[in-house]
Amino acid sequence: MIDARRAAAQAAVEGVRGAIADGGRFVAAFYDKEDDVRQIRYVVAGKMGLVQTIGVIGDDPIPALSADIRAADWAEREIRDRFGVEFSGIPEARRLLPPSDPGSYRRSVAPEVSTVLYGPVRSGIVESARWVIETAGEDFIAVYPSMFFKHRGLEHLFTTVDLQRATYVAEHVSGATAASHAICFSLAVERALGIRLAEEDRAARLVLLEFERIHQHLDALAKLADDGSLAVGAAQTFAAKERVHRLLAQATGNRFARGAIRIGGTYGDLLAALREVCARHLDEVEHEATSVVDGLFGTQSLLDRLIGTGKLSRGLVTQYGSVGPVARGNGVSTDVRMTADVLLPIGEGGEALEKDGDAFARARVRATEIRRSFFIVRDALNADLSSVAPSHAAPRSGIGLARVESPQGELVYFVRVVDGRLARVAIRSASFANWPLFVHTLPGNIFTDFSFIEHSFGLIQAETDR
Amino acid sequence: MSNWLGRGLRRGVLTTRYPFDEAEMPDRYRGRVRLVEGAPAQAVLRAGSVCLSNAIEVQNESCHLRMSRCFQCGACEREAPEAVRISNDFEVAISDGEADAARHRLRERMRSLGRSFMIRHVDAGSDASCDQEIQALFNPFYDINRLGFFLTAAPRHADVLLVTGVVTHSMAAPLRETYDAMPDPRVVVAVGTAACSGSIFLTGRDVVGPVHDVLPVDVRIPGAPPAPLSIINGLWIAVGRATAHLAGPRR
Repeated sequence: MIDARRAAAQAAVEGVRGAIADGGRFVAAFYDKEDDVRQIRYVVAGKMGLVQTIGVIGDDPIPALSADIRAADWAEREIRDRFGVEFSGIPEARRLLPPSDPGSYRRSVAPEVSTVLYGPVRSGIVESARWVIETAGEDFIAVYPSMFFKHRGLEHLFTTVDLQRATYVAEHVSGATAASHAICFSLAVERALGIRLAEEDRAARLVLLEFERIHQHLDALAKLADDGSLAVGAAQTFAAKERVHRLLAQATGNRFARGAIRIGGTYGDLLAALREVCARHLDEVEHEATSVVDGLFGTQSLLDRLIGTGKLSRGLVTQYGSVGPVARGNGVSTDVRMTADVLLPIGEGGEALEKDGDAFARARVRATEIRRSFFIVRDALNADLSSVAPSHAAPRSGIGLARVESPQGELVYFVRVVDGRLARVAIRSASFANWPLFVHTLPGNIFTDFSFIEHSFGLIQAETDR
Repeated sequence: MSNWLGRGLRRGVLTTRYPFDEAEMPDRYRGRVRLVEGAPAQAVLRAGSVCLSNAIEVQNESCHLRMSRCFQCGACEREAPEAVRISNDFEVAISDGEADAARHRLRERMRSLGRSFMIRHVDAGSDASCDQEIQALFNPFYDINRLGFFLTAAPRHADVLLVTGVVTHSMAAPLRETYDAMPDPRVVVAVGTAACSGSIFLTGRDVVGPVHDVLPVDVRIPGAPPAPLSIINGLWIAVGRATAHLAGPRR
């Protein structure tokens, strides 16, 4: 029995390795315990969508994928640290969470190299995280992230509430991207229980996702403008973001569109509310957003700080399984909206891809996506929707895996529902997928580039730490 | 080359006059939540049963809605509209009263120093939306510099500490350190329902609790997230310029 399990676990890991060698992208490793059997669910994105492979955990350590697949590093370390699963061959011995004592980062390097702790409390309005920076003056020599200061136990919290109200828990994972989380979680549950949505609800959800992309991309661009001491440009960009929040408050009752999504649909007649509010305000909101973005990209003093800053190679982006604008800034296609398993195909224009892999490329991806998102919103609002009746197959148990393109990139939820209750919810956010690569952008840059690079990534700590 | 000045002039003045003039949130906005007086007990119980953060308390004959616990999802009103009314009233800040002395001293100092306050922000475990709403205070629509509030990078210069999020185990000590580094008089403002009461996290094993479990809190601004206008209202209370009041529902 035990030998069989060990062989099965090894076969699972080898299978995942093979899928990645064939061009698949490592997405996640989720720990689960089903009927007292502990297992790891590996998720790989291939041409046909997400593929799951289950490795059962026996008495022996699981061979680590991260031994040669860097993208699996955080996923396996999290499972090791949170659930006590033993792996053999994880190259990074350091604990991922909870955050380590800073002393564990001090290495004996050359005497002119000093180690600086930056965080978790930093200046300005910043989410809490710590950076351990080795420097010999202005240059970054090496940087280590020390995160999870904000770990709030959200995955566990899902299992303590009833299914219908669990969307509110999803909105607490990242309130700034609440629609992405509520929608992705709901999709996973709907898949698990065989619930089919009404077309109106799909369209309304799509609109919320695009508005969220617009306000978060504007947030990232405004912060870049602020980093570049472009005070007026930053103020105008934040003002454009404010207009999106006001529109959402009018349509949904919340500035971040919270409380609008339910499993099986949306609350109230959300599409009608969005249509009504957009009829009055969308033109103005779009004009402000697109013209301010044009302004930013017409300001040479800002562009000078972005071009060539925080440059990544395409090879690193692929190795680390990066997603979202970070991947697209290097020409790596990961946009979930291009795949068939999402709400509505978005058609026109395709994916916003750039080549140069620097902060400028990532900002350009955001600028292009802001414009396209407005098109998608208009398309969805004006679409002639077929009247597909929503259906509820209503089994009380099942598993579901779903993903949406959040502003930061591909967001993935795994749910296992047993007798109408959530037995396990696991989240792989885009921010979680992108942070490990972040530190590799820093060496070769200097201290004052840090905030430019950080804001060009535009990640959210809350969804990383959960 | 972009003409930022011209652009700014063309937009005209965007800035609200609040708190000197009235301001209003959209009709649909979920702000203050109230129990309907004389509502049937069964309906109140039903409303309470769908509340994820136990904001509706029913004890014997009396029932009570604790705004500090409410994250404004609207579930209670949908479940029992005869028992709950949600209005667009955004002035939801709660003052716990004990810190009147500190507020008084701050107010005195404000008079002598020409009404300027330095703000320090600490994220103790937020969901990132409260932080973005604090950021929004500095956009042209709210521009809290006009009210004398400025952000400072140094706790040594700070008068007001804004704390977002439920306090996690790893953030309790850094939060305390920031507070200890601030000179007296100082006021602490909890921003967002998670910071005010722990919200849905109270039953969790990974958090310490609301901010007042770690620091003395002067003003609490519930909301998920609180709107920038709500935060201005709370700040105005925190520096002794307004009192926390229970405005009537606006719709």
